[in-house]
Amino acid sequence: MKLSDRVTGTFLVGLGLVTAYAGHKLPPVPGQQIGPEVFPVVTGLCIALCGALIAFGIGAKFEEEAEADLAAHGGENIAVVERGPLYKLRVLIPPGLLVFYVLVVDRIGFIPTAAIVAFLAATALGARLKLAAGVAILAPIGIHLIFYKLLRVPLPDGFLPMPWR
Amino acid sequence: MWANYMEAFRLVFAPDVVIAIILSSIYGLVVGSLPGLSATMATALLVPVTFYLSPIAANATIIAASAMAIFSGDIPGALLRIPGTPASAAYTDEAYAMTRKGQAEMALGAGVWFSALGGIAGTISLMALAPPLAEIALSFSTFEYFWLAFLGLMCATLVARSSPVKAIAAMLLGLLVSCVGMENPGGVPRFTFGIADLLGGIEPIPALVGVFAVSEVMRAMLTPDPPPMPKRKFGSIMAGQLHLTKKYWWPMTRGNIVGIIIGVLPGAGADMAAWVSYAMSKKFSKEPEKFGTGHVEGLVEAGASNNASLASGWVPALLFGVPGDTITAIAIGVLYMKGLNPGPTLFTEKASSMYALYIIFIIANIIMIPLGIIMIRLASRILRAPRSGIMPIIVLCCAVGSFATGNSLFAVLTVAAFGVIGYVMEANGYPVAAMVLGIVMGTMVEQSFVTSLIKSDGSIVPFFERPVSAVLAALTIGALAWPVLYWIWRKFLLRPAHA
Repeated sequence: MKLSDRVTGTFLVGLGLVTAYAGHKLPPVPGQQIGPEVFPVVTGLCIALCGALIAFGIGAKFEEEAEADLAAHGGENIAVVERGPLYKLRVLIPPGLLVFYVLVVDRIGFIPTAAIVAFLAATALGARLKLAAGVAILAPIGIHLIFYKLLRVPLPDGFLPMPWR
Repeated sequence: MWANYMEAFRLVFAPDVVIAIILSSIYGLVVGSLPGLSATMATALLVPVTFYLSPIAANATIIAASAMAIFSGDIPGALLRIPGTPASAAYTDEAYAMTRKGQAEMALGAGVWFSALGGIAGTISLMALAPPLAEIALSFSTFEYFWLAFLGLMCATLVARSSPVKAIAAMLLGLLVSCVGMENPGGVPRFTFGIADLLGGIEPIPALVGVFAVSEVMRAMLTPDPPPMPKRKFGSIMAGQLHLTKKYWWPMTRGNIVGIIIGVLPGAGADMAAWVSYAMSKKFSKEPEKFGTGHVEGLVEAGASNNASLASGWVPALLFGVPGDTITAIAIGVLYMKGLNPGPTLFTEKASSMYALYIIFIIANIIMIPLGIIMIRLASRILRAPRSGIMPIIVLCCAVGSFATGNSLFAVLTVAAFGVIGYVMEANGYPVAAMVLGIVMGTMVEQSFVTSLIKSDGSIVPFFERPVSAVLAALTIGALAWPVLYWIWRKFLLRPAHA
């Protein structure tokens, strides 16, 4: 999701100004000159200033030099596979799976939810069915054992309570 | 003092601490060797586990895992030309060239041997520097603490391998994140949008896990799998390392010193140390023409440097609560959580705990040698593990680990949101490490800033009046003005000269 510096800089100007305005509106502490508004106002104004500098291309030269240096040393390993515009939406799968986890884990329990998340993530990353199924079965059980049994994290049982609960 | 050391040994050799060191070392070695999984990510994923450990065991896991992961990143660099961690990127080409020349054993052996020596040198610097600095720091007021924290944030932006303006913007975004919640001078809800879960603020740990772990899984969705690791048998890993130590003792020492200085500098970490040391090694070498063709000298200096920086990075973290790098930013959270609040008094009130940390550093760097050799021998098998089998486990660890921080599902949503933010920022050249430092240090910066302003009745003059405060202010303002001055110099002064 590469955007131009003009776009990200303008966004930061807007965000900074909104922050400074919202900070300015915070209620002061009675009898005290300095309150909770000072820090957000200063931070917001600085963000807006940085956004303006970025939009005008200040500092871009440093970035180009660093990228060229990294590429020359073989450290660049982020060649994106080009397969059409929709293909890039795959990046949203991991955060999407986390949201799915939040929505269903209390209803169906940790083991089934984690199995679905692991299976979908593995499949999306190109795993064969055998590997994806193996990960979906073993990873949730292993993680449940460590976090529930050893670390006492209260993971919901749902449909599939584990024997060590 | 000796009583403190005896107590420290007792703390370190408690069974839970020994088990924590061994298990986290193995974890650090495995995660660090897997391309795309950085030492910072390994450390961030470990934090939820530290909740349930004793203070010393919790810090031992962070120290051992990060030290091992930084070394272990050299393994795929040498064998596949893919750095396991960013700290190995500087000399990946050199190490791979050695492998192609049939010298993989020497490249990997130099990695483990000089990393261990560098780590021990960094620990000695931590032991030597921290107590006298603590004496000085005892006289610091909120003005000095404000400038120190601000200077730390500025250093992080100056050394970022990106546009300094973008790095400053990323750091400010981190400060903005730290504004959320009720923990502010007025105790009023700030930027909570009526969401009850935001009243307590955004916890740094889920944010860290999001920007370092989830964003990495997101990148994996679009990047091709690394090439499969060919099966190979290694000869003696440590053969010739003593000879190399004698031959390159000065580059090694220089690497240690540079690593220590960069580590102590707030905000700069192991990757910066490796880049600077590799460049220095090439510049001052008697055989600069051999660099890039598989020459071990650069590996010796940079390998010694990145691990030395890891230990010295704890100096500002322990003394001032100002992180030396992203790993110590996480460590500071663990220190607070375990009641070892950073500050100069830590060295007087909890001296035995401090000595215990020194001992753990030494032990971690010593056991790095045998464990590192085993790891190199097993590398062919571990590096064949399919990414599609590892990344789903990381997603699950992100969910369960962040939930464990407060038994709240809101933390899982925070992880997801910061994963997206981290991915977008990284893709557009905004360094996420600077944002993380902003998040971790935001409360401290605001507290010292507002307390100082209240003390001075709203005047900013006292910020520059005390001698130490004035020096720190000058350094900070210089760091802040640097990108603009550099831009003006290039734009208006350099161009007419070329014309």
